[in-house]
Amino acid sequence: MIDAYFIHLLILICIYVILAISLQLSLGFTGLLNLAHVAFFAIGAYATALLALSGYPFWLCILFAGVLAALFGYVLSIPTNKLKGDYLALATLGFSFVIYAIVLNWISLTNGPMGLPGIPRPTFLGINFSNNNNFFMLSIFVTVIIYFVIYSITKSPLGKVMEAIRDDELAARSLGKNTKKIKSISMATSAFFAGIAGSLFAYYITFIDPTSFSFSNLIPILSIVIIGGLASLPGTVFATIIIILLPEPLRFIGFPSSVIGPARQLIYAMLLLIILYYKPKGFYGKVNLE
Amino acid sequence: MLLQVLINGIIAGSVYSLVASGFSLIYSTNKFVHFAHGAVIAFSSYILFLLFSILGINFWISSLLTITFTSFLGYFINYFIYKPLRKKKASASILLIASLALLIIIESLIIIFFGADVKTLNLIKVSEGIQIMGAIITPLQIIIIFVSVILFIFLMYFMKSTKLGKAMRAVADNKDVAEIVGISSENIYSWSFIIGSGIAGIGAILIALEQNIEPVMGTSLMIKGFTASVIGGIGSVPGAVLGSYIIGLVENIGIMFLPSGYKDAIAFVILFIFLFFKPNGILGVKKGLQK
Repeated sequence: MIDAYFIHLLILICIYVILAISLQLSLGFTGLLNLAHVAFFAIGAYATALLALSGYPFWLCILFAGVLAALFGYVLSIPTNKLKGDYLALATLGFSFVIYAIVLNWISLTNGPMGLPGIPRPTFLGINFSNNNNFFMLSIFVTVIIYFVIYSITKSPLGKVMEAIRDDELAARSLGKNTKKIKSISMATSAFFAGIAGSLFAYYITFIDPTSFSFSNLIPILSIVIIGGLASLPGTVFATIIIILLPEPLRFIGFPSSVIGPARQLIYAMLLLIILYYKPKGFYGKVNLE
Repeated sequence: MLLQVLINGIIAGSVYSLVASGFSLIYSTNKFVHFAHGAVIAFSSYILFLLFSILGINFWISSLLTITFTSFLGYFINYFIYKPLRKKKASASILLIASLALLIIIESLIIIFFGADVKTLNLIKVSEGIQIMGAIITPLQIIIIFVSVILFIFLMYFMKSTKLGKAMRAVADNKDVAEIVGISSENIYSWSFIIGSGIAGIGAILIALEQNIEPVMGTSLMIKGFTASVIGGIGSVPGAVLGSYIIGLVENIGIMFLPSGYKDAIAFVILFIFLFFKPNGILGVKKGLQK
């Protein structure tokens, strides 16, 4: 029983690691105050759910989830490329509200507030991932791959230009870098991995509804990134583990479930405020949030 | 039919303007997005609910207490959260994230203490609307429009003619120069929170009377208030009011064609259009928008 619960937490940690390190790519490395991450997560989850329910294979669903989210990320980056800090934050936040409204209201596609139940667990290369231990193996595999992909992006020349844009966009531009294009690439890549996280989430939970993708779900992801420290991938993994495990004792103290949800949000938000005050760079971060 | 849509738009616009003008006032001096403003409104609606419906205090006294309380809440938010962050040289982005965190904190507290269900004040019985050329408007809605116009005029007079209002405009225009001539910017920040939140308190009362009270109403109101401020020109109070009426009208025209659940999304589509083509808004100054 405890074991099964522990595996559940580990799978959640994997999904949140993917979400947080992909947000690091746009927020931490490129310095884009991107608050649309939960929308890309939603796009990935719904794309996967709809395709998997129509019987498409695992590899196609997860790839399509990523590509569709990336496409949305790219399209969103076009009008918002020229906006700075807090304006970008609000435009991207607006995008998450639009996606949320669509998910909630386009009932013929998404089944609205009733959600989409019965998403089949994936089968891939002859392995059936319907039990949680196998699914955990799958998630950790995907997470490790994504971690190394993002790690190599940040170490590549492209990643260095992203960091240059974060530190001084004008200087990067005067060196002949096409900063707008690179910002778009950063947003699209970041969205791609968020879409994949959404896909894993849909496969794992097997039921998705709009409440998993509302704006308040952004707070834990944002807290992870800020606590781990901007542009620090190991810090992000460390922070994810803390953030996921921190509210768990609440469950055992015996609060009613109607209080656990808001109490968890409360803890995340308080933690975020405390970190912003005492350690605005996070635990392993090297850069300030401009 | 068209007249009814127009009237509904104006009513919605009046409600939004109560949110947007306080938000815009705070933004104009503080220069960061106080996203928790919506949650402040939600919270004060619950305070009114507590005082009036649970404790049974006279409505006018409850209202007065609510407005006072909201002003203090704004003051304390600035004093205990934003001011220490500013002292640590926090950027506008950090303050924005802090305000998001604050929004979630207030919302969660409301859910923990009052529950997630919808509350109603039950002060005014559902009254017969007045017919004006086939369109229906209730007396309360007339009061809302009236109050929002009066508040706007008062705010304009305040900003133009009083010493405090002038000092606010000075800080909004150029903080450093204002400090050189002896205006304490920290003082002005506090005052804009007090006044902006006071307006929010008045808004909260009218919104609580007109609609139901629920914990997430703050976020939804903030979306409208913020969008209105941006399209009107952020940091300009008349702009925010103008923007509110535009949002109210477009929304009500929009839901003639779309399901009403898309209301929030419509506001954001307008926001995107403005951010793309006219990011300074209609009456805005271009200061500090782009790199």
